[in-house]
Amino acid sequence: MGTFIQLVVDGLSTGSIYAALALAIVLVNQATGLVNFAQGGMAVLSAYIAWWLTGVGVPLILAILITVVVSFVMGAVIERYLMRRFERGDPDTAVVVTIGLLTLITGLCGWLWTYNNLQFASLFSLNTIQIAGASISVRSLGTIVVIVVMMVLLQALFLGTKLGLALRAVAVNPQSASFSGLPVGRLLMVGWGLAAVLGAVAGALVAPQLSLTPGMMDTALVYALAAVILGGISSPIGVVVAAWLIGVLENLAAVYVPFIGYDLKVAVPFILIFVVLIVRPQGLFGRKSVVRV
Amino acid sequence: MNMRRTTRKAAGIVAMASVLALALAGCSRGGSGDSGDGGAAASSPGITDTTITLGITTPLSGTTAGPGTCTVAGITAYFGAKNADGGVKFGDGKTRKVEIKALDDAYDPQKAKANYDQLKGSVFAMTAGLGTPTNLAWREAAIADKVPQVLVMTGDPTFSDKSKSPWQLGFVPTYMNEGEAFGKLLAASGSDHKVVILSQNDDYGEGYVSGFKAGIEGASNITVVKQLTYEATDTSVDAQITELASTKADVIFNAMSITPLAIAALQKAQQLNWKPSWFLPSNTSSPSAILEPGKASAYPGVYSVSFAQSASSPAFATTDEGAQFLSDLKEYANYKDTPAFPHCVWSYQVGAVLDQAFQKMTSPTRDDFMTALRSISGYTAPFMLDGTSVDTTTGDQPAVSSVVIQKFNGKGYDTVDKIG
Amino acid sequence: MSETSFFRRRWVRWATIVVVVVALIVLPLVLPEFANQTIARIGVFAVAVLGLNVVMGYTGQVSLGQIFFVGLGAYITAYGVTHDWNIIVVFILAFVGPAVVGLLIALAAARLGGLAIAMVTIALPIVGVPLAKRLSDVTGGSQGLSAQFSDVPDWMPFTMYDDQWQLYIVILVTAIVFLLTRNLVHGRYGRAFAIVKGNEAVASSMGISPYWYKVIAFTVASLIGGVAGFLYMVVIQYTSPETLSFAHSISLLAAMVIGGAASIVGSLLGGAYYVLVPQLTNIVDPNSTALLQGAILLIVLFVLPGGLVSLPRVLTRLARRRSGDDRGRTPQTTPITEPDPAAVTEGNPTERQGHA
Repeated sequence: MGTFIQLVVDGLSTGSIYAALALAIVLVNQATGLVNFAQGGMAVLSAYIAWWLTGVGVPLILAILITVVVSFVMGAVIERYLMRRFERGDPDTAVVVTIGLLTLITGLCGWLWTYNNLQFASLFSLNTIQIAGASISVRSLGTIVVIVVMMVLLQALFLGTKLGLALRAVAVNPQSASFSGLPVGRLLMVGWGLAAVLGAVAGALVAPQLSLTPGMMDTALVYALAAVILGGISSPIGVVVAAWLIGVLENLAAVYVPFIGYDLKVAVPFILIFVVLIVRPQGLFGRKSVVRV
Repeated sequence: MNMRRTTRKAAGIVAMASVLALALAGCSRGGSGDSGDGGAAASSPGITDTTITLGITTPLSGTTAGPGTCTVAGITAYFGAKNADGGVKFGDGKTRKVEIKALDDAYDPQKAKANYDQLKGSVFAMTAGLGTPTNLAWREAAIADKVPQVLVMTGDPTFSDKSKSPWQLGFVPTYMNEGEAFGKLLAASGSDHKVVILSQNDDYGEGYVSGFKAGIEGASNITVVKQLTYEATDTSVDAQITELASTKADVIFNAMSITPLAIAALQKAQQLNWKPSWFLPSNTSSPSAILEPGKASAYPGVYSVSFAQSASSPAFATTDEGAQFLSDLKEYANYKDTPAFPHCVWSYQVGAVLDQAFQKMTSPTRDDFMTALRSISGYTAPFMLDGTSVDTTTGDQPAVSSVVIQKFNGKGYDTVDKIG
Repeated sequence: MSETSFFRRRWVRWATIVVVVVALIVLPLVLPEFANQTIARIGVFAVAVLGLNVVMGYTGQVSLGQIFFVGLGAYITAYGVTHDWNIIVVFILAFVGPAVVGLLIALAAARLGGLAIAMVTIALPIVGVPLAKRLSDVTGGSQGLSAQFSDVPDWMPFTMYDDQWQLYIVILVTAIVFLLTRNLVHGRYGRAFAIVKGNEAVASSMGISPYWYKVIAFTVASLIGGVAGFLYMVVIQYTSPETLSFAHSISLLAAMVIGGAASIVGSLLGGAYYVLVPQLTNIVDPNSTALLQGAILLIVLFVLPGGLVSLPRVLTRLARRRSGDDRGRTPQTTPITEPDPAAVTEGNPTERQGHA
């Protein structure tokens, strides 16, 4: 039983890594209608900037705060000068542009800081505490808590604030939104900027464990996309729950289903998604979208 | 009327095209690329009286770019320093400068073959590339084209079997060698041990495990109680460590080549209050990059096998040769950090072994080079540990097949000959 | 206004075809070995991109798993060759196998909407890699399979080198696949695909079952992927789990869009992009390949959002704009003679089913 609980706790911790990225993907999608394949890459770039700042003597918390501001600007600039051109066009082209952005950012990080594994200082200590017979590090616990806070804030943003409503309106119907007087361009930039901020926080949380390399978030991106589809692309709570579910079920399947084992455990999220989408095509928590014919 | 004009124009085009075709067919090209059988006096491509060119295809981008960049940096540093001193004195009396052409294959076998196709006509020999599938992709082509594929950074035994791979030679010990060395040591310890195995799910991990199992074969004091794998792309091995910890084994054989996962495994086991003796392979044993963040001192013993000094241990930079190596890396290879991967030192050693082969060559052909390369024995390359040496004459082993066991002493490594 | 453009005239079209055919026969005998090998590789990936285009460019279904079918075709070829099966049998199995797998997957997933298809296709390479490692008896595991079978055969009466022979095989198979696919997408099926891509509700109201046409498109795509896998083995002669990694699927998608989605010529350009850009960036600076590739991709799409295949159109539009303002006032109409593939992809906010 102890192993079971430990596996669940480990799964929540790993799942939080996916959840962090998934929240940023949800925000960009809700605000601009795009799926941003470069979300992980932007998070990594933010983490490198924070790392560089700590390297020149800036204390960690301050470095992260500065990076958050820089990331907001970076996200807004990318939207305005790169993505704007492709937002109205073919969605496939827009996705490939984000793929190109990912390649570019990864290459840029590798060029500036090499492909070596860099150590990123941790916001939380590595001490272990015991919960229900399972041990978990303060760092993992801290990551989970921060993710939950980010999820709640994002959910509140979308459902409770005028900004959230405006962001979603702009994504769903830019023309009507602009006729209603909303500053469409500025809202798009804000959407990308906020997503970059989420990514920066995710990067800072995750880099101590994964060790900072240009490709740090590549694997997490696929899981984050899986969590987004499983949880419903419109629901922050949904994707976080989905990410945790994926993390936990993967571990349990690897240990308790010998046929799957550790090498095929990656199939678990996809089986899960397939089953859920048959029953609920909009994802666990998503909203049914009505498309006008 | 229109039809006739059209037909005439069409006929004219066809006629022109046929003439063009015949003309082009007339000047069909000669032999494909290199012709190694053009007589004993003809030299191979990539070598002149004053220069010799070596080719490398290795990952310089992507997840394996860290060690990949090192495989280019070390050899570039070695020959950069030599070139600055005037060049390498060859066995045929000429002094030549060594040029290196390196291409990125992003660990994609298809790109590795493309790089080989691109380089083979303009380099003398291919060397130092990292990766098993990437080297396997063009191995058959190199044999068919008679192009040396030597001192490559893969522990796959196929490359060192002279009967199967006459134009190849591995550099680093095979994965089996390393695993077996540790297995034998453990078996000889005299006391009983419960062992768990965590290995990477590819030829690397499989090689280590098969070697380890060969080393403990027949030893009644060693039992393997659990064996698990992980994927090189996994973000976490927490679940595996959790499962292994529940066995309360006292030794973990961890055939892992991914730095962050090695650190995480060391940390996780401590969190679970499980403190076995630990085995790590040679390329994931760096004191500063892995053992220190992983707080390895908490364990009764962290062992590794090695044949080369670790450039990231603090003692390294204090020696003359170590300091020279680091400054050569910076100056000639543009590699400014302290190497976190052993491949920088290994690639430097590859340069030294090639130097030995060049000194023995008497004619500027690839055939002669291979003969010279396979005649080196008892050579101690720079930074090799006591008890190891280069021997290329065996015909079924890579250039380095001897390893020593080392134990972490809190700062760096000491060579040991028993566990405990 | 009765002046059709130079390239529309019948005799020019025929002449171009003759010149191209002659070139394809003669060039392999004349070009150096490396050029032949590069062109052969371009052929392999042009076929792979073509398959992706059928299901994604023409029918609008997101598929991130095309490389899985390429890898499957390559593995089937390698297995068959190392077990000395007849080469024709191997070739047929190399595309029938992936087609059957694609059919089964499509039958299950096509009913579920765009998102499910996308996730299933992502799952293919991601689960495919560990699966290839696990089935090591059949696939050679992590070490992969080497299969040398495309050397010049003994019955060849005149001297030919291996790379020339391989290029001829690639040219022949690629040409056949491209022609067959061109007929498919310019005919009844192509029109049905386009309608399903545009609006599924409209399609079913016209009696065109979106489900069945999606299944057909996906099966055709996997079949073509299998052919690409066979050609992969002809040219590279080695396959391993890395052949079907997810990163390559993403690169194929990028190559498709850069070449030109929903375009036959665009698939060829996409294959050329896939092969040539890494080689080009390697020549410029092997240490910055990722940086340069990302930059090139973004620049190309920024200048030509419709892909490389839209270059002639963009140039003629620029030329017309410059040549005279009175000409510029006439509205741009798409020519009736040829469907304009780039119009589907450029500036058209497509209602993609399943995108919330």
